[in-house]
Amino acid sequence: MSAPAAPALAAVQRLRGPNNEGVLALILIGLVVVMSIASPAFFTLSTMFAIVRSSIVPLIFALGVLIVIISGGIDVSFAAIAIFAAYTTVRIAGAGLDLGLAGVFVVALALGAVLGLVNGAVIARFRLPTLIVTLGTQGIFKGALLTYVGSRYIADLPASMASVSTTNVVEISSGGRGAYLHVMAVPAILLCFAVAWMLRRTMFGRGIYAIGGDAEAARRAGFRVVRTQRWIYVLVGMMAAVGGMIYMIMGRSANPQDLVGGEMDIIAAVVLGGASIFGGRGSVLGTALGVLLVQVINNSLILAGVPSAWQRTAVGLLLIIGVGVQAVSAKRSVRRVRANDEEGVAA
Amino acid sequence: MNDSSTSNNPLKRVNAQVGDRYAEMLSRVHVNRGSGRMMLLVVVAFAVFAALKPQVFLSPLNMQNIAIASPEIGVIAIAMMLAMLTGGIDLSLVSIANLSAITISTLYTSIAAGDPARAEQLMPVLVLIGLVVGLVGGAINGLLVSRVGITPILATLGTMQIYNGIAVAWTGGRTLYGSPDSLTAIGHATVGGVPMLFVVFVVIAIAVGVLVSRTPLGLKIQLQGANPVAARYSGINSRRVLMSTYLVAGLLGGVAGILFIARNPTASADYGASYVLLVIVIAVLGGTNPAGGFATVFGVVLATLTLQIVASGFTAVRLSSYEYAIAQGVILILVMVADQVTWRRRRIARRPVGTAAVQA
Repeated sequence: MSAPAAPALAAVQRLRGPNNEGVLALILIGLVVVMSIASPAFFTLSTMFAIVRSSIVPLIFALGVLIVIISGGIDVSFAAIAIFAAYTTVRIAGAGLDLGLAGVFVVALALGAVLGLVNGAVIARFRLPTLIVTLGTQGIFKGALLTYVGSRYIADLPASMASVSTTNVVEISSGGRGAYLHVMAVPAILLCFAVAWMLRRTMFGRGIYAIGGDAEAARRAGFRVVRTQRWIYVLVGMMAAVGGMIYMIMGRSANPQDLVGGEMDIIAAVVLGGASIFGGRGSVLGTALGVLLVQVINNSLILAGVPSAWQRTAVGLLLIIGVGVQAVSAKRSVRRVRANDEEGVAA
Repeated sequence: MNDSSTSNNPLKRVNAQVGDRYAEMLSRVHVNRGSGRMMLLVVVAFAVFAALKPQVFLSPLNMQNIAIASPEIGVIAIAMMLAMLTGGIDLSLVSIANLSAITISTLYTSIAAGDPARAEQLMPVLVLIGLVVGLVGGAINGLLVSRVGITPILATLGTMQIYNGIAVAWTGGRTLYGSPDSLTAIGHATVGGVPMLFVVFVVIAIAVGVLVSRTPLGLKIQLQGANPVAARYSGINSRRVLMSTYLVAGLLGGVAGILFIARNPTASADYGASYVLLVIVIAVLGGTNPAGGFATVFGVVLATLTLQIVASGFTAVRLSSYEYAIAQGVILILVMVADQVTWRRRRIARRPVGTAAVQA
């Protein structure tokens, strides 16, 4: 490698970030620029706010999935937990036990924690594959909800939840068109910071990375693997519950048939955001960028007049390309390491 | 994956060691679990519902329904088993099956619009095209997994979205009607009281069974899943093995699409959406080790029948499909836990011998 190229290369390396966040951000910016040129309607505050609004619930779910994926697992039951916790809470509050906004969230969080504990207990205790266990619990949670709690669509939420349904945190009306940012963007953003802080600054967070990197090594390093794993799923259950509540608040209704089935889209967004499916790698920033990218693409396709049916294909292609680039570069670096090893042996 | 530290040892010794470990795994872990216990589960499930509601459950119509509904799920589950045998997974199978069914239906209707008799004659060609669609889907998966090196769960998660997106865009989300009458006739025919579809299922199961346990490719697939490192040292071309596995899985997906449309002359993008997770349940229940290396086709067939018996039994005793979802989850987790507990007990029982060997 020639000398003048080195600093440029280092700058590119720094830009890429630990999990390709830089590349992701560049793609995102590029897409926004192209769309803004192609369609003037795109580069407006109301479009931006609409994209943020549609990202809120996927982002919260994605944060939970991120934690599980960093720990080396995969969770397909979070949507079932979300709908179980939120719908049950609405039923309880609707039955004359409306505890105020904070109260209903506490109820939902408790439900989410219990369901998460079921996952965590089975997975940690018996060391079973997380995909299969959560597949099983997904069926159990959804079946139990529809059998024992209710299967009816509820059109009006309890007063405490309904009161924030139409609250906006930012309202700007310019040129006859208003731009509104839903108040629920605030907890979503706060949650991002909280999870980022937890992952980077607490022993629990470091433990999640350690387990995902190598569970046996984490155990020998003194991390309590079983206990950490259990808490991971409790935490994810609680975050799913928050996502479910916000989903219902923003949708202004409660449908027990919703959400379940959309798990794969969320997992795809997280993986797109640079989290390694093998565990041990991933960041909140990357995840947020991944979720935003998917939503921007969805929005662009609609504006560009492409049938919304192609959304799935676009996300699938993006996932394959994103992961494919990672896989190829990982292969190259393995080859480089091996080449270095051989040099070392020869010397 | 600490093979680099041992690679300084003579290759032969490593090979022998890893090979022994692998043989031990195959012979001790999960062995014969699929067939033995699944047999019991089928009998128990059958007996319970036969005792609870004999007049409904034991009626010939119900028996035929079980036999007609099982094949399409069973064939996809066998394909899933193959992918799991290599330590992978294939989430795109149902999407492939739907694409194959949609292709057949679209081609038939467009030809039949001009010349119905000709469209009818072309039935075998249409079926063949359906299989080709499956093969192409499988080939794309295979390339992504074996060449590009994407983890199977992600590669097939992506292709699942792509194939499904194509199907949705193609059909506009609507259900397509129309397929050759002769195909429908085959779908409704019976041979000595047994539905033709079930016969096809059994034939495919036997074919895949022979492929897995009696051919060099089958042996390589098993070895690849049991221990990729040992497989590499044994000179197995893992790229080619993975490619073949996903090709066969895709082909079986195409077969499932043909079964879809033979049973019911319609095709849509979201048919069998709940099958994606159900077939994983069936494959695991049938004794497939999700980490790879062990599976039996017979076990998967029995698991398919068990779940189908439970489903129709639940209907017979008037339990809802929601309760069936609970039962599925509970059965899956209980069987997994039971496996794990017996496996650990065996390992603990063997440990004294193992430690002695290490000390010696």
